[in-house]
Amino acid sequence: MKWSVDIKGVISPLKILNAFWQKPNTIAYPAVKKETAKGYRGFHTNLLADCIGCANCQDVCMNDAIDMIKVDTEYNAKNSSQCIPRIDYGRCCWCALCTDVCPPNSLKLDEEFVGVSKYASDFLYMPKDK
Amino acid sequence: MENKHITIFHGPQHPGITGNMSVELDLIGETIQKATTHVGYLHRGFEKLIERRTVIQAFTIVCRICVPEPDPNEANFAMAVEELTGLEVSPRAQYIRVMVLELSRLAAQFLWMAGQSGSVGLYAVGQWAIADRDLILDLFEELTGARVYHMYIYPGGVRRDLPEGFLQKVQKLLIYMKKRLLDYDDIFINNASFKNRAIGVGVVNKDEAIQNAYVGQVLRGCGIKADVRKDAPYLVYNELDFEVPTQEAGDVYARALVRRAEMDQSVHILEQVIAKMPEGEIMNKLPTHRKFKLPRDDTWVKVESARGEFAYYMAGDGSENIRRMQVRGPSLVHGFTLLEKLLVGQELSDVALIMNSLGICPPEIER
Repeated sequence: MKWSVDIKGVISPLKILNAFWQKPNTIAYPAVKKETAKGYRGFHTNLLADCIGCANCQDVCMNDAIDMIKVDTEYNAKNSSQCIPRIDYGRCCWCALCTDVCPPNSLKLDEEFVGVSKYASDFLYMPKDK
Repeated sequence: MENKHITIFHGPQHPGITGNMSVELDLIGETIQKATTHVGYLHRGFEKLIERRTVIQAFTIVCRICVPEPDPNEANFAMAVEELTGLEVSPRAQYIRVMVLELSRLAAQFLWMAGQSGSVGLYAVGQWAIADRDLILDLFEELTGARVYHMYIYPGGVRRDLPEGFLQKVQKLLIYMKKRLLDYDDIFINNASFKNRAIGVGVVNKDEAIQNAYVGQVLRGCGIKADVRKDAPYLVYNELDFEVPTQEAGDVYARALVRRAEMDQSVHILEQVIAKMPEGEIMNKLPTHRKFKLPRDDTWVKVESARGEFAYYMAGDGSENIRRMQVRGPSLVHGFTLLEKLLVGQELSDVALIMNSLGICPPEIER
């Protein structure tokens, strides 16, 4: 059996040692937070002054993640159904089709995306009014 | 002492497994006597799920067929719907689609590099590759609003226009990538550890590749110059200049060299896309999802994904639902026919190495 040593193949990987003097790619979370890109598909918001309760969002949602529910709040005068959407984040896939089909453009996705809760019921999320 | 015959499951939790699947191995000592692929641990039944949804609703599911590179699925789906309904896509939308597809290819190759280097114990390379892939995901986040499942390439165009200064950001990334990819040559491709493990392992010969309809790097790694982007150009690939890299050896190392060369070609394509990006509309005006109907017709479309030819069959029946859709990804033939064949006679330690070189994505198998 013939023995041979691939000198270049042994020496060239040592270049990885240069990484010791380079700035790390990682960030010191949570002291440093990564900025979310503008237009990121995070949590829903619903401007109640504009929402007409048409349920288009509920109809287009293929995951059945949207329920139209009655709540004690001030509705838009044009909201004939008197219902507003509630999102089930156990089902939502953040495809944003619901925001695409919203006729008054009241339902939107916010850049906020971190939500922590010890209660499973908090997955049923009422979009913030903004 | 004589070695006993044993059967073990390699996966689905094993880190060397590509995705949620497992391979049942019959071993004598360390040598594999028989390999059987088992899938179905992750997503499955996509084709049936799609039949139960309207065209617009189904669009959000297809990207989930392949996690490392969802965009070829979106492009295929959109192209099939456009072909059936006769929708025209504007040149700007087509260029943006090519940009997304090439960025996605580059990201998928980085993910492959992470897996392939991990399979030979070079974990530092994997960490670099994942970090560099993240730079591409940052761009996707800005363009599409999501990092992994973009849901961006939509029948009729693309969902958002390029944000301000986006092309400059891509340009900046490409300048970085060109320099960075040379580092990967030093630490991974030319690394003696990788070469010793990869050369002469998992060899596929030319005749077998053609006979069994292998695609992508498996085909190009044994000297066959086949690429859907050249052979049946879609979108605006016929306006772009690029080469199809090939190798002759047909082993794991040849496939790695092909992939590495393809990364350079992706960078080259992206530079041209940036230079040629036209102005104009990005989306057709579409009917609402209940009124968006497919005619009674069928079509077969295909794109070149980072792992090979990716094809969709789609049939409409005049309603708003898709009558039938079939997914033919590269993993179907690589994960069953090829993997089960290649593993026989190999060592147990080479399973992860060979699997990674084939680029298997289990949801494409049990779809």
